[in-house]
Amino acid sequence: MKRSIPTVIGLAAAASLLAAGCGGGSSSDSDSASGPVTLTLAGWSLSTTPEFKTLADGFHATHPDVTVEVKEYDAANYDTQITADLAAGSAPDIYAQKTLKNLYTYATGGQLMDVSDVAKKLGNSVGGLDAYQVDGKTYAIPYRQDSWVLFYNKELFDKAKVAYPDGSWTWDDYVTAAKQLTDGLKAAGSKAVGTYQHVWQSTVQGFALAQTPGAKLTSGDFSYLKPYYERSLDLQNAGAQPSLGTATTNKLTYQAQFGKQQAAMLPMGTWYIATLLAQRESGDADKFDWGIAPAPQFDKSTTGTSNTPVTFGDPTGFGINTAIKKSKISAAKEFLAYAAGPEGAKALAGIGITPADTAAVTDTFFALDGMPTDELSKFAFAKHDTKPENPVSKYTAGLQNILNDAHTAILSGSKSIDSALGEAQNRAKNEVLNQ
Amino acid sequence: MTTLPGVRRRRSRLVWRNTVVGWTFILPNFAGFAALTLVPVVVLFYVAFTNWNVFGVADWTGLANFRRMIHDASFRTALQNTVYYTVLHIPLTLAASLGLALLLNRKLRGLGFFRTAAFFPYITSIVALTYVWNLLFSPEYGPINGFLRAIGIAHPPGWTTSADWSMPAVIIVGTWREMGYYMLLYLAGLQTIPAELYEAARVDGANAWQRFRSVTLPGLRPTTFLVAVLLTIGSFKVFDVILLLTNGGPGQSTLVLSQFIYQKGFVENQFGYASAVSIVLFAICFLVTAIQFLVNKRRNA
Amino acid sequence: MDTTLVAPPAGAGELVVPGRRRRRPRNRVWRALGYLAMLVAAAALLLPFYWMVMSSLKTNNEVFTIPIKWVPDSAVWHNYLDIWQKSQMTTWLRNTLILSVAVTALQVLTGSFAAYGFAKVRFPGRDLLFLGYIGTIAVPWQSYMIPQFILMSKMHLSNTLWSIIFLQAFGAFGVFLMKQYYESIPDELLEAARIDGLSEYGIYRRIMLPLSVPAIASLTLLTFVTTWNDYLGPLIYLRSPDLRTIQLGLSTFIAQYNAEYALIMTGSVLSVLPIAVIFLLGQRYFLEGIATTGLKG
Repeated sequence: MKRSIPTVIGLAAAASLLAAGCGGGSSSDSDSASGPVTLTLAGWSLSTTPEFKTLADGFHATHPDVTVEVKEYDAANYDTQITADLAAGSAPDIYAQKTLKNLYTYATGGQLMDVSDVAKKLGNSVGGLDAYQVDGKTYAIPYRQDSWVLFYNKELFDKAKVAYPDGSWTWDDYVTAAKQLTDGLKAAGSKAVGTYQHVWQSTVQGFALAQTPGAKLTSGDFSYLKPYYERSLDLQNAGAQPSLGTATTNKLTYQAQFGKQQAAMLPMGTWYIATLLAQRESGDADKFDWGIAPAPQFDKSTTGTSNTPVTFGDPTGFGINTAIKKSKISAAKEFLAYAAGPEGAKALAGIGITPADTAAVTDTFFALDGMPTDELSKFAFAKHDTKPENPVSKYTAGLQNILNDAHTAILSGSKSIDSALGEAQNRAKNEVLNQ
Repeated sequence: MTTLPGVRRRRSRLVWRNTVVGWTFILPNFAGFAALTLVPVVVLFYVAFTNWNVFGVADWTGLANFRRMIHDASFRTALQNTVYYTVLHIPLTLAASLGLALLLNRKLRGLGFFRTAAFFPYITSIVALTYVWNLLFSPEYGPINGFLRAIGIAHPPGWTTSADWSMPAVIIVGTWREMGYYMLLYLAGLQTIPAELYEAARVDGANAWQRFRSVTLPGLRPTTFLVAVLLTIGSFKVFDVILLLTNGGPGQSTLVLSQFIYQKGFVENQFGYASAVSIVLFAICFLVTAIQFLVNKRRNA
Repeated sequence: MDTTLVAPPAGAGELVVPGRRRRRPRNRVWRALGYLAMLVAAAALLLPFYWMVMSSLKTNNEVFTIPIKWVPDSAVWHNYLDIWQKSQMTTWLRNTLILSVAVTALQVLTGSFAAYGFAKVRFPGRDLLFLGYIGTIAVPWQSYMIPQFILMSKMHLSNTLWSIIFLQAFGAFGVFLMKQYYESIPDELLEAARIDGLSEYGIYRRIMLPLSVPAIASLTLLTFVTTWNDYLGPLIYLRSPDLRTIQLGLSTFIAQYNAEYALIMTGSVLSVLPIAVIFLLGQRYFLEGIATTGLKG
């Protein structure tokens, strides 16, 4: 028996409204023809995330009869609020896909329009399009594609007398450097440590999944995580990295750890670049010599500037609400194409955002005030094989939940790696993969 | 019982009058309640038998969600953790709040200050106070462990960062926060006990403990019932303290039923399953409350 | 017990002191212990809040130092001015006040009204209905949040302050609390009034309401505080930034300016102050009131 819950509730509501003597029912929307169109767009934290307004204004400049109105949502609870609005039928026309793992639910729940036609028209340089495919159809268009790279503080490296990363590092090289940095900095009288790996599960698991050949999230076999966790625990025990417990209870932020020179290295996504630049201006971060290097690799086969380093990152894109008025669909699709295309990319690069099309904008990007100027940084930014952290499938959300529990259990020392991963594999088999 | 027809008619007219009067008193609250709470709760009961993912269509799946629950190890973990929390939290909070109420029910200097101090944890924003408590519990640098080390405990517990001590940490914060709330209810209840009863007991030669047992405790019975029911239901449903303090971790050591429901529903979008678990939680609460009701009724009779 | 000259039983270990003074030393020790206990309890209860207030006067770097800092190096009073500019504290305060007052008024009125019906009027099905009320308290709100939200949206109430008002004003808690207190009021009083010819509504107004002032005061305070601190409700129902309440505003502030620790603490302190002041000033009235005198004699 199929029943639409909103219909059930609508009937109940109508009954109660009738009893209360009010009139119910919504008026049907009349299709307006040509003329000025207003699209509503869901975004978050507008005052610290200028990308939505930038794209909205840029699009309006090239399409004067379309106004894009940005609606602000709560950044930390974006998906909860959007879910509630979609369920009630009051969500905006276009909404950003903040977390890739929810795409599957929105798409299969009939909340996203098929935009494969827009995807076809975009060039190959737009990264992340595959991540938005479900059953061969594309449901959202990426406007930014962040990847994880290695940020490093040149001045702290100098102080500890350790050589800068040169693009040839594997994870073992990284660990060695972190320990050398910690010792060197202590000898030089500094309280900074070698590296800071933020508390998120992605910091460890994202790399493991992307870089280990043959690793697949939905296989339910999580043994590929083991070497990565061994290294993280090694760093924690050596004091080269704050423990998960300290980081969580003291609410350490990666922006402050790197920006205030508490750590010499920081593996993080490229979105941090815009924040770092802004904080240097506002004084929330120190002004020091910094650079980005490609993320440490699984083994020597992908290191060096003549190869393409493998890293991970999820795209951020826009999707169209299926409840949109028919007359607005073409304008909405044009907005998606604009945001992903070269013009949108240039507008985003101008405010320090990593667009989906990085090839077109490297020069614009690195011309910004405060950016590093060395060749390795440009290489790390422009060249990478970025795999998604959350491959699209109906099991992803459940599996990531299980892996997050394993992550906190391992790094807090509550469970050994083997027992935590073993339990995660059991849970995956019994709770998620059998649905 | 045989009655004259006149009396029977009068009695049924009385019942009718009482029904009308009773309903006019109840109606303003009940109307809002029925529309805004009862209807969604009924829908919830329906959704529990479907596989609704919050958008659009829900397929009827019968008892599939409940069967899944039986085999779900995480559900069992959540249930165990919830019972663990409840069994410790209820007596601790009851004792603490009653103690506070008795302590603060007399003419003392600075009474207003002390009562406000007791109530402070409850009125502070939970976002802010879980922030602060995490800091206090910090295993390496927090003051609690600092104090423990100072009095000679070499390896103080990891509190919110350790799977064994995270639940005790949550219980401490939960009790600390709610003592003042229930103290308030107890204080109001203490006011309803007439002073003459105490006087009479004193004249009869009862000491403080005997007065407590024969005057205070019986006089507080309706209040204790209220506190017990609210505390029980609140403990089974505990959510925001856990969400903000430990988020169910480390691992699953503080995962409780409410949080399991939230995860399944809002994070994994499996509302059908989440609704089924909600019904189980509701059934547990309801059962315990019904038992408390019956015990109370028998005591009052 | 009389206090005239009486020798205490042998072995009591007390000084033989004439008159009332025999009781005093013991009382004083107990009293001092009582004060000590209360001070320790107060310190434990207030410690986190003390840290919050101190941190609100620090610079951002001093807040989460390792090890913990109990006093700022120099108090940054400016934080209490900056918070009004950097955040929309005035908007949040205004919205939260409107909601708290409206919800409290409605809850107390309808709740006490309904409670009288449940406590003192006998009609068929009463106990079952009451059990149904209590039953809904046992259902976790996250479970029926979404169907409720859909219902409110269809009535075009979402993203308005009315949604929160309707949501909280008709809860079962108020009914439950008032009913328990009404039960402690003896039926003989009501019978006497009925014999005197008062209607049920008259009884409610003239007798029940005045007698239940401590309960009403408690309900007022608790409902006010619960609405003031409600986080999930505004999160789900309110979208426009100018509708945000303090909790929601603080949380978005933390998400946007997550390293502005001192200001976050300042905002938190400000969010507690109004209630603390109300409580401190009114707690005696809330708790004792006139009721006790009404029951004597």
